[in-house]
Amino acid sequence: MRVEIHADRCIGSGVCVLLAPEVFDQRDDDGVVVLLDEHPDARHHESAHDAATRCPALVIEIHDEG
Amino acid sequence: MTAVSEHQAGALPPLPLPGEQKCPFGPPPEYEDLRAGQPVIRVSCPTGVDAWLVSRYADVRQVLGDPELFSNRAGVAAHILLGFGGGTDVPVSEGEFPRMDGAEHLRFRRHMAPEVSNIKRINQLRPLVQGIVDRQLDALAATTQPVDLYADFARPVTTAVIAELLDVPEADQPLFKRAAESLSAGGSSATDVAAALQPLFEYLYMTVVTRRAAPGEDVISRMIVRSDQTDQPFTDMELVTMAAALLIAGYDTTASLISHGVLALLEHPQELERLREDPSLAGTATEELVRYLGVGGGLLREVTQDTEIAGQPVKAGDYVVVAVQSANRDGALYADGDRLDVGRTSGAHLGFGHGPHQCVGQQLARLELTTVLATLPRRIPSLRLAVPFDEIRFKVNSSVLGPVAVPVAWDEIVPALESGA
Repeated sequence: MRVEIHADRCIGSGVCVLLAPEVFDQRDDDGVVVLLDEHPDARHHESAHDAATRCPALVIEIHDEG
Repeated sequence: MTAVSEHQAGALPPLPLPGEQKCPFGPPPEYEDLRAGQPVIRVSCPTGVDAWLVSRYADVRQVLGDPELFSNRAGVAAHILLGFGGGTDVPVSEGEFPRMDGAEHLRFRRHMAPEVSNIKRINQLRPLVQGIVDRQLDALAATTQPVDLYADFARPVTTAVIAELLDVPEADQPLFKRAAESLSAGGSSATDVAAALQPLFEYLYMTVVTRRAAPGEDVISRMIVRSDQTDQPFTDMELVTMAAALLIAGYDTTASLISHGVLALLEHPQELERLREDPSLAGTATEELVRYLGVGGGLLREVTQDTEIAGQPVKAGDYVVVAVQSANRDGALYADGDRLDVGRTSGAHLGFGHGPHQCVGQQLARLELTTVLATLPRRIPSLRLAVPFDEIRFKVNSSVLGPVAVPVAWDEIVPALESGA
C-alpha cells in the first residue's frame, strides 16, 4: 500500500489521526495533515482505508499495490 | 408535521422533517419510499425556499463532497431558519465562514483547527471533560428527582466545557443561552436574531480587545496570538465570529445530541445494557448515535453550474437539500441501517456532514458524548424515564432537533472512579 495526501485541500478535521494515528499526524499551527508513513504496515491498512473514506475533504488517496 | 403544514402555498410537497412522536429519532417515514423511487425530487421548505431534495447515501455524499458544484453561499440552514441573515441571497458578512467557499473558508477552518480539531489537543482535554461530567453527576445525586437530563445534565456539562475552553465566566451564560436559542429556533425573525446576537458580539468584541492586550491560555487568546503571527491576520470581527460560532455550537448543539442520544438508548435498553457492561464501546456508540440522529433537518447547498444529481438535471442557482438522516439509513451504507447498534465499527456515516464544511466542533462533540456514554450508564445503572415515552415532546421548526426535555429518575448514583483509573 502507498498513501498519498493532497494537503492543499485539508481542513484539519483530525478524522484521519483519530482513525489511523500510526499513519497520520497534524501540524500544530493549522491542524493540516502530516503523513507519517507512506507505506504503512499491513496491520494499519484497514484503518488507513477507513481514514481515506471518512476524510471530509477527500485529501487521502490510497494506492493498493498487490 | 405541524412545522410545515402552515406552508402549503405551492403545489410542491413539503420537506419531510423529523421531530414528532411518530419519528422521534428520525428520519420521517416518507424517506424510505423517496430513496427507493424518487431519490431527487422538488420540495417546498419551511422558509419558502423550493429545493431539490436528495435522499440516497451516494448522492448526498456526492453533493457534500463537491463544494465547487454545490456552494455554501446560501447558508446551511436557510431552508429551515428565516433568522440568521434574513435569507439565502443576503451578502456574506465579515467573518461569516459557514457561508464561504474554497480558500476563503479554508483560512478560517485552519485557524480554528489547532484549538478544536487537533487530536493531540483533544486528548489533553479528556481529564477536564471527565471531571466536568463526574461533578455534574455528583450534583444530580444531591438533587430531588425527577431531573431533566437536558437542562440539568447535558447543558451544564457542555456549557462548562466551552466556558473552560474560552475562559468565559458562568455569570455571563444567559447571554450565550439567549443567542443560541434565538439562532436555532425557526420562529425567530432576522430582527429577533440580530437583537440576541448584538450583545453577544459586543461582549466578544470587548473580550478580543482585552485579550489582545493581555493574552491568556484560552482558545480566544490563542487564536488572537496565532492570527497576529500570520501573513493575513484576522480582523477583530472575524475573531469575534469564530469565537461566537464555537460558543453557540458548543452551547446547544452538543447538549441536544447528548440528551437525544441518551433518550435513544433508554428506548433501546439492550444497547444501553451493552454499554453499561462494556464502557469501551462508548467510542463506537458515539459514532452510531451521530449516524442515527444527526442533522435531522438536512443541509442546504446552492448549485453553481448546470449539472446532474443521480441523472436529474439541476441548474445553476437551484437549491439542494441533502437529507443526511435518510442517507445514513440507506441500505447502501448498512443493510440494517434502521437498527441502533452501539458496536458498529465501520462505514463513513454523514452525521457530522461531509466535505470541507463538516462540523468544525466534531472532535469536541465526540469527546463529550464519548465521556458521557462511558460514564453515565456505569454511574447510574438504574437510569430510567420518569414519564411515559409518549409524553416526551420534540423540538419542531428548529435547526437543532431533539427532545425538549427528558425527565429521568434512578435508584442510586454510584461514585466516580478515582481519577486516572
